[in-house]
Amino acid sequence: MVFKSHSLALLALVLASLLINAVAEPVTIKLTFEPDLKNGQRIYEICASCHLPEGWGNNDGAYPQIAGQHQNVLIQQLLDIRSGQRENPTMYPFVQERTIGGYQSLADVVAYISTLPMHPQHSAGPWRDYSDEYKAGEVLYKQKCASCHGNRGEGNNDTSTPKLYGQHYPYIKRQINLVKSGQRIVNSLMQAVVQKLTDEQLKQVINYISYLPVPEEERAPSLNWRNTDFY
Amino acid sequence: MTKKINRRTFLQSSAALATATISGQGYAQSTSGESPVIGGKFSSPAPIPAKKGPRVVIVGGGWSGLTMAKYLKKTNPKFDVVLLDKNQQFVSCPISNVWMADQVNLDFLTHSYVEAAQNNDYLFLNATALELDRTSKILVTTLGSIKYDYLVVAPGIDYDYNRIGVDNPEDEYALRMNYPAGFSSASEIMAIKHKLHNFKGGTLVLTVPSGNYRCIAAPYERACMAAAIFKKHNIRGKILLLDMNSDIRIKAEGFKKAFAEYYGNIIQYEPSAEINGVRVVDKEIETDFDSYQFDDAVIYPPVRASSIIEEFGLSDESSLQKEAAIDPFKYHLVDDESVYVTGDSRSQPFSKSGNTAHSEARYVAEVISAHADGKQIEWRSPQTMCFSGVRIDPLESMSIIAFYKYDEAEKSFAFDRSHLMDKWNERAGQAGLAWAEGMYRDMFYS
Ligand SMILES: Cc1cc2nc3c(=O)[nH]c(=O)nc-3n(C[C@H](O)[C@H](O)[C@H](O)COP(=O)(O)OP(=O)(O)OC[C@H]3O[C@@H](n4cnc5c(N)ncnc54)[C@H](O)[C@@H]3O)c2cc1C
Repeated sequence: MVFKSHSLALLALVLASLLINAVAEPVTIKLTFEPDLKNGQRIYEICASCHLPEGWGNNDGAYPQIAGQHQNVLIQQLLDIRSGQRENPTMYPFVQERTIGGYQSLADVVAYISTLPMHPQHSAGPWRDYSDEYKAGEVLYKQKCASCHGNRGEGNNDTSTPKLYGQHYPYIKRQINLVKSGQRIVNSLMQAVVQKLTDEQLKQVINYISYLPVPEEERAPSLNWRNTDFY
Repeated sequence: MTKKINRRTFLQSSAALATATISGQGYAQSTSGESPVIGGKFSSPAPIPAKKGPRVVIVGGGWSGLTMAKYLKKTNPKFDVVLLDKNQQFVSCPISNVWMADQVNLDFLTHSYVEAAQNNDYLFLNATALELDRTSKILVTTLGSIKYDYLVVAPGIDYDYNRIGVDNPEDEYALRMNYPAGFSSASEIMAIKHKLHNFKGGTLVLTVPSGNYRCIAAPYERACMAAAIFKKHNIRGKILLLDMNSDIRIKAEGFKKAFAEYYGNIIQYEPSAEINGVRVVDKEIETDFDSYQFDDAVIYPPVRASSIIEEFGLSDESSLQKEAAIDPFKYHLVDDESVYVTGDSRSQPFSKSGNTAHSEARYVAEVISAHADGKQIEWRSPQTMCFSGVRIDPLESMSIIAFYKYDEAEKSFAFDRSHLMDKWNERAGQAGLAWAEGMYRDMFYS
C-alpha cells in the first residue's frame, strides 16, 4: 500500500459556557493534525471487525463503501456519530474516545481509510445507460448535484463533500430516504435539494450516480484483492 | 439475580402499569362483537389500549423481538406494536462469559424492557404466550388474549436433552437443576458463575453440543474464561472440555493456541465425544467409547427451536431441531403471511447469534412493513458477528464476521464473505464490549 501523507484539518465547535449569565457565542477552533498512517492501520483493525479489512461495504447496502473516501468526509461522519448528531447506535460506542482514541487517532484512521483502493464492482441501480430513467437521472444530477459533488461524482475533500462514485446503490438510496424523512440531518443545501425532488426523481438520480465510473487508479485490481495489512 | 430498584425504574414500571390498567376498557370497545374463544375456553382480552393502527404482536423480547419492535415502529409509525416477554427484565447472554470472569459488571448485561418500550414508542407486556389461534388471529397470554394483524414469534431456543440420551423427565430435570447449560436464561448463567468461583477442585466438565447450536464459539470461550478464573483465584481444578464435534467448530487455530499457551495445565480438550447418556447420581458422562467422571459440570445439550414453535403448530416436521416452517426469504409461515418466525427459532441454517438476530430483525421489520403497504423488498443477508474473550485483566478477544448468500444450485444458504481475526488482543477485547454496548443502545436507549 502506498502511503500518501496529507495534513488534515479538523474543525471543532466549542461552546464556551461562561460562569456569568452572559450569552456565549460558539467558538470555532481549527486544529491541524499530521496523520500517521501506521497508527491509522493499527486503529483500523477495530473498524475492520465490521467493515472488513477492505472497507468495501456490501452490495445490499448494509455497510457503505468507505475505502477511498475523502478523509474530511470520513472524519465528519465519525464526529457526527460520536456526538449523536448522526444517529447510529451500533457504531456509537466504537467512535467514542475510550474506544477509538482522540482526534489524532481519528485523523490517523481516516487518512488510512482514504488510501484503500475501492471495490472493483460496487452495486449499481436498475436502469442502464440507454434507458430513459438513466438519462433523466443524468440531467437531474448535472442540475442539482454536480456543482458540489463534481461532474464525475468526485466530491471535494476541502469542502467535506462526499465522493459519490463507487458507493453502493442501495446504501445511497437508504441514506437519501433517511434525509427525506428527516431521520438524517445534513447541511441545509443538501436537505433542500432532497426535499424538492420527487421519489421517482431521487431514484433516477441515485441510479445515475451508481453508474459513475470509479477511476482505474482508485479501484482494486479484482474482486479477489485483499488488504494484506490484515491477512 | 437482583438489580436494585431505583426510583427511576420504579416510576417507569408504575407508569407502564397505569397505561395497561386504564386502557382495559379501550380494548373491550375495540373488540366488541368478537369473542376470543380458543379450544372451547374463553379467555378475556388482555388489558391493553385499543389498537391505533395495524397491530403487530411480538412474542419474545430477546435480540430478535426487541430489534423488531423498534424497527417496525421506525419503518411504519402507523403500526401498533406490542412486545411480550415472560421475563421482567432483559439480561444479555452475549458477554455473560466475560462477566463470569469479572470483566464487566451485571449492570452491563441488564436492561429494562419498560425503558426500551418508552424510548421506542411501543407497548411492553410482561406475559407468557400460551396458545395461538391463527384462524381468528388471536394469541392467548397469561394476561389474556390479544388480537393481532401480524404476529412475530421470536422465542429463542430450548434444549434437546434427548439428543444426549437423556429421555427420562426426572433426569432431565436433575440436569437442568444441577448442571445447567447456561445458554438461555439469566438464572442459569448466575448459577454457573457461582459454580466457577466456588469450585472446590477436581474435574469440571464443560460440553459442546453438535448441530446448529446457539453461539458456536461461546462454549470454547467459556472454557477460556473458566480457566482464567481458576488461574486468577488459584483454584486447583481441571477443565475437561467434551466436544461432540470432531474438532473445534470456529476460530479453531486461535482457541487451540490459547488453550496451549495459557491454559495448558487446566483445559483438557476431547473432540468427538458423542455423549449418549449422563448418570446424574454417579456424576458420570457416557460417550460412544468412554465414560468420564466429573466433580461438577456445565452440560450444554444440542438445541431446538423453542417448544412453543411446536406447540403452536408452526414447526417443520422434517426439521431435526423442530424449527419453523417459514419462507426462507420473507420469514412468514409457508401458509400464512400474517405470522412470522425470527431469531434462533428460524429454519435457515444461519449461525444462532445475537448479531444475526438483530440484523435479521431490521430486515424482517421492513418486510412486514412492505407487506402492509402491498409492496415487497429485496432480500438482505443477516450478519453474524461474534467476539470471543480469550484472556482477562485486560480482556483480550478474537472476532469473526460472516455474511450469507443463497446458493441456487444447492437450494440453500452458504457463507458469503467472512473475516476472521484470531490473533486476540486488547483492542479486540474493547471492540467486543463496544459491539455489545452498541446493540443495547440500539435496542433500548435510542
Ligand atoms: C453465553 C452466550 C454467549 C453468547 N455470545 C454471543 C456473542 O458473542 N455474539 C452474538 O451475536 N451472540 C451471542 N450469543 C447468542 C445470542 O444470545 C442468541 O443468539 C440470541 O439471544 C438470539 O436471539 P432471539 O431473540 O432469537 O432469542 P432470545 O434472545 O433467547 O430471546 C427469546 C425471548 O423470548 C422469551 N420467550 C420465550 N418463550 C416465550 C413465551 N412463551 N412467552 C413470552 N416470552 C417468551 C424469552 O424470555 C426470551 O427473552 C451468546 C449466547 C450465550 C448464551
